[in-house]
Amino acid sequence: MFGEQQRFVLLLIAPAALLMLLFQVVPIVIGANASFRNWALYNPKKTWIGFDHYVAVITDPAFLYVVLPNTFLFMVLSVAGALVVGLALALLLNRPFRGQKLVQTILLVPLMVAPVIAAIMIRWIFNDQFGIVNVVLEAIGLEGQPWLVQRWSAFGVILLTDIWLWTPWFTLLLLAGLQSLPKEPFEAAAIDGTSTWRVFRFLTLPMLRPVIVVCVVIRAIDAFRTFDIVWTLTGGGPGRSTELFSLYAYVHAFLNLDLGRGSAAAIIGGLIILVIGVVLYRLVDRIAKA
Amino acid sequence: MAMVNRPTFLPWLPPMGRKTLFALAVALICFAFAFPVLWLILTSLRPESGVYYVHRGTEFTLGSFAEVLSDERIVTAFLNSALISTLATVFSLVVTVSSGYMLSRFTGPASRLWFGTIYVFRCVPYISWVLPLYFVTQSWGLYDTYTGLLLPHVAVHICFFSWLMKGFFDGIDPSMEYAAMIDGCTRWGAFIRVAVPSALPAISALAVLCWLFTWNEFLFALILTGNRVPVITVVMAQFVTEMGLRWNLMAATAVMALVPAFLVALFGQKYVIRGLRI
Repeated sequence: MFGEQQRFVLLLIAPAALLMLLFQVVPIVIGANASFRNWALYNPKKTWIGFDHYVAVITDPAFLYVVLPNTFLFMVLSVAGALVVGLALALLLNRPFRGQKLVQTILLVPLMVAPVIAAIMIRWIFNDQFGIVNVVLEAIGLEGQPWLVQRWSAFGVILLTDIWLWTPWFTLLLLAGLQSLPKEPFEAAAIDGTSTWRVFRFLTLPMLRPVIVVCVVIRAIDAFRTFDIVWTLTGGGPGRSTELFSLYAYVHAFLNLDLGRGSAAAIIGGLIILVIGVVLYRLVDRIAKA
Repeated sequence: MAMVNRPTFLPWLPPMGRKTLFALAVALICFAFAFPVLWLILTSLRPESGVYYVHRGTEFTLGSFAEVLSDERIVTAFLNSALISTLATVFSLVVTVSSGYMLSRFTGPASRLWFGTIYVFRCVPYISWVLPLYFVTQSWGLYDTYTGLLLPHVAVHICFFSWLMKGFFDGIDPSMEYAAMIDGCTRWGAFIRVAVPSALPAISALAVLCWLFTWNEFLFALILTGNRVPVITVVMAQFVTEMGLRWNLMAATAVMALVPAFLVALFGQKYVIRGLRI
């Protein structure tokens, strides 16, 4: 039926395709089905209710005015923060200095820390009674804050944790990018006596652009689905004020035991990020070709 | 490069002062990055009575570690996490190396379709398929089993790692493979005996990343396992609520969970940095 080459090609991707079919495609189809039904534990018949869950989610003020703005704000700030810090550190590590290897190892530390562990550490550091942050603040005469039970300080702590966790990822990929840039333009700029800032602005940044865009796309998509650190740091609280989209779906499915509504929320989020993903992909493609 | 030696930053400072300032800034950055981990280690070494005043007092003890290690559930969780991470790494590499090879060496509709599929599934948030995967694993009898946690982990790595693997193979000249095929090697022979060995640095980098990702993963384990297959991240998250006030034990468990990841990363760092330089 197939030529020898087609058979080889198909066999190469067969295991991957089979796994994706069983563990991603099938669940998504079943989730889509559940999102149209009253799939709660007390209703064994799982009645078909059409788009009711979808309407319920998108008219839910908590989803509309808290969860969605939180998710987007978190995505933008977390990616921007990690990009700026990561780029600065990559530029630092790209110049030779004594102890560079040691500094590089230290800066990559957060990459090895599980988000759950990072969240536990940060929770302890920002503990309102015994956390070191408040101890230091009180020692210098300021007032300690109950960081994790106020909306915006809790959001800030979550953001800080995320940036700490993901900066090394940017540093690593951008450093690899910097080291593969051609040397000649930089040597020419040095001979012309161009200032460091202008070298960065007009040489490094444009040449690094494809790598930056790829990093941003990957991180943005991942930041949209952040779950671990929010769950462990605040559980979405105080109230529901730091809930992100993944938590909203999880809470509805497993805490309120309304699997239909949780699935609907998961699909709505999935569609939103799919649109963002396609737009970003076009952008990458255009930049890579330019 | 000449550029590096010529002062453009704070040119009025004497060279010694600039050097000191630079060293201080670097030290400060390193401290900021390492502080949370250092603080965690310090907390884990304090006795129960001193844990609330970590910054004061000089008593240190390994008692928390001993207490944690005598908890059977935590030890089981560590073993489970190690087993699942290792198996997931082996399976993921087999699956993604061949899929990445296909993406790199073949063009045409099949390859484009596969790449599009991978990209789309890379975008799908975990919760969107892991949440219904809960019903699926239950109806297949895989809920709360090793297989039921292992296979979704392998599946989730397919997209990103195939993509990275494609990049690595793109950087390897295929002419060696053609030469091998002219000499009578089959396609499989050319792939396994020629292409895979030359991609070994990249494959090692992926192995390190894959092990770390699986060890650190939380959401899958939270949804797909119950009491029979505890893994370390879930057990730790439960700690926060259950043993809320026993920070010395929590810190000790967290430190122990960091150790294997550190070892893997420390020995793998050079492969990751070399492998990611596409």
